[in-house]
Amino acid sequence: MNKQVQEKLPEKLQEALDKGLLKRLPITFQPFTRQQLRDWDVLFPYERQSILRLLLYLASLNEQQFTELFREVAQLEEKMGVRGWQFSTEEQTILNASLLARSRYYQDWRKAVQKVFDAAEQHAEGEKNTATGGNRLILMIMPQVLPLERAKVWERWQGVGRPVRLDLAMSRETQSAAEALLSAGSAGEGGRLLEVVSRRPNASPADCWVLDAGSRLVDCALRQGPSGTGAPTATLLSNERLATLRQNFSREVNTMRKDLADADAVFDRLRKADVTAWCPPEVASVPVIREFLRSLYLSGNGALIFSNSFVEWSASEAFRRARPSFVMAQFGVRSKPKPFTSVAVFDNPDEVNPLPAVDDLPGSALDAQVLALYVWLAASRYDDYRRNTVCLCIAESLSEAYVIAPPEFALWHEAEPVSLDRLRTTLTQWLA
Amino acid sequence: MRVISGNPDATIDRSKRDFLRAAMALLAGLSLPRTSLAGGGQHGAGGSGQRVVMVVFGGVRRIETFSPQGLVNIPHLSGDLLPQSLFYRDARNEGVTAHFNAISSILTGNWQRVDDWGKLAPTTPTLFEQFRKGLGAAQSDTWVVASNKALTNLIGASSATDYGPPYGANVVFPKQLMVAAVANALRAGRSRNMADRAKIEAELQSMLEAGNYEGLGWSVFDAAERLDPRVRGTIEEAITSFVRSGGPTSGDELTFLVSREVMRRFSPRLLVVIFSDVEVAHFGSYAMHVGGIRTGDRLSYQMWQEIQANSEYKGKTTMVVMPEFGRDPDGSTTNGFFNHRGDTESTRGTWMMALGAAVEKPQIIERPIRHVDLCATLGDLLGCPPMESQGVRLKELRG
Repeated sequence: MNKQVQEKLPEKLQEALDKGLLKRLPITFQPFTRQQLRDWDVLFPYERQSILRLLLYLASLNEQQFTELFREVAQLEEKMGVRGWQFSTEEQTILNASLLARSRYYQDWRKAVQKVFDAAEQHAEGEKNTATGGNRLILMIMPQVLPLERAKVWERWQGVGRPVRLDLAMSRETQSAAEALLSAGSAGEGGRLLEVVSRRPNASPADCWVLDAGSRLVDCALRQGPSGTGAPTATLLSNERLATLRQNFSREVNTMRKDLADADAVFDRLRKADVTAWCPPEVASVPVIREFLRSLYLSGNGALIFSNSFVEWSASEAFRRARPSFVMAQFGVRSKPKPFTSVAVFDNPDEVNPLPAVDDLPGSALDAQVLALYVWLAASRYDDYRRNTVCLCIAESLSEAYVIAPPEFALWHEAEPVSLDRLRTTLTQWLA
Repeated sequence: MRVISGNPDATIDRSKRDFLRAAMALLAGLSLPRTSLAGGGQHGAGGSGQRVVMVVFGGVRRIETFSPQGLVNIPHLSGDLLPQSLFYRDARNEGVTAHFNAISSILTGNWQRVDDWGKLAPTTPTLFEQFRKGLGAAQSDTWVVASNKALTNLIGASSATDYGPPYGANVVFPKQLMVAAVANALRAGRSRNMADRAKIEAELQSMLEAGNYEGLGWSVFDAAERLDPRVRGTIEEAITSFVRSGGPTSGDELTFLVSREVMRRFSPRLLVVIFSDVEVAHFGSYAMHVGGIRTGDRLSYQMWQEIQANSEYKGKTTMVVMPEFGRDPDGSTTNGFFNHRGDTESTRGTWMMALGAAVEKPQIIERPIRHVDLCATLGDLLGCPPMESQGVRLKELRG
């Protein structure tokens, strides 16, 4: 990895490490822990807090408590014969994952590991400040171009929220509803959405994400930056603007032979490659986001292949790793698979096959519907998003939004169509 | 605020009764026992004279297939084939839910825990080896035709003492031929050829002539460098159909066409066909995943039609259709339908359909079965000597 100057670890943590904490950990705990500590510089604030809490909790245990906490994990490692494996204790590798996954004790091991994390989490709960960190907003957009069926579009959400009609007439002439939501707003109304988030206590780019299957939304956010080169208060990820990074990653991944050792070698190369030159300015200048993307692309889940998967997986990973207060995610359109070559290659289809790309609008719409639900489900796994969070998924072509919100949210009971202005004002007020 | 259930099977359970009622209605009138295993059967080097065609298609969840909302994706399996089938509603993968291990567990009757990427052969004998060693069957009597890139030719024979490659199956990966042809054309700067059907056919044929069958992962007869002329003819014919038909061009289409050609030319008594278009799910396109299910549904039906139309198979063949496993439930930490890593009902619970000679009467079996139960059952149908298996013989299938 292209390391910057190494930041110091917090003093208490360093003390615990100096006393040999890592060596006491079971073998299968070591790759994750060591990797997190090595990557300290490029962890999000939430991740740092999380690993800090875990390790300080472990350091606080006496020998007997420590042994008891890890008893099950240690017993399972013994049964699995981990010591006899070619298992990296330095970092998480594909070989490690493969060895664990094919063990007959794998599921038991996963449960035992989860118990340790749960114990640490429970301990942290007791010590944590009970402040909720303010209101949160997940705003998703299925753009106008995606054909959606009113009767079915929200079926998968199983009635967890309710549809609200929108009046989007004002937006369509010059910009999409999503762009209008992002760019409009005056000081009297509390300002634009991104400005509102940036004024919150403890605001940081990690707290505010704009994820775009194309580039228009991120372009719109970038125009709001003082110099026009970037909005430093938000993390801006546009699948289109990341094309060079993605293509270079794909090229490397495609050199991989069908072999675990080779896969680890390719991944290792990609972990160490300096990707700065492949990134757009809003990413190149932020090491933590560069590394987020590197790890996102290495973790698969279609982020290198389909723009909607990129949006969904980025959002899921952002929730897991950064717990942002505001995520705006816009889905888009993918092409139909090209005849013959799509059997072999999904990425860079235009490079492989000169036939013109044809948009798959119904397919993209279905993908977006499922993945929008997945974004919400990913967030709702965490306590942080279970109380004071509004999730609003806009179906532009239907002039409708699906709203999941606490009862006090202003639009929760709305029966009349909501204008774009009112929607924006309500959202900024919610976040302010 | 309500929380959505992360378990789609909950929905299935609610309406399971309705679905079963509908299914049983389909079965009505078709439940008279058959009088005999028609056709007599051809006895080669020994055995029962029965034939087995096993169709396995990747990871699919119950919710997208045999559930009230999934039936729309499988019109042939649910509408055309279910009424004449023996349908096991709950066929469970209790092993490693990764491709190589799942398929080798089905083929050996023992849960396998080897390298996921097919670098190690299954550790206990496959059905192919049991069949060939026990009955003296020829290699051309046992074939694996597969789309799945996670498999290697080691799927055709185990590393068990006294068994192994001398008793293994012919293994071909038609999709790999296409992958190699595309890569080759790109390397040589001939990407423009990929837009022209005639040139694509030439690219594929030239890959066949290149003779790197080991590189393709194939194990066909005993010569890695020289393809038997009959096999070459088989593949060439399938390629021609694939390229010139103007029909769909997915990997599973080519796998089906090669399988059909293998049936027509070699009439193997044991054929395993592995589809994998559904695995596009790993990249997150739900629409394409469902498209893969529909393709698998159609090709399974076409396979059954081929069995009915081919005199070597008609009346003496049992066809089994099953997924390797399910996929993870919506809302799982493993990103739902993208993956198949969870220890959940959605991931482990699948179904199995049997059709043809060994099905005495169409029925739906509620009792859970395990994937490892199939091997010994099929071995018995083929007339193999009893084999060591973690599974139990399925009594409803009769040879």
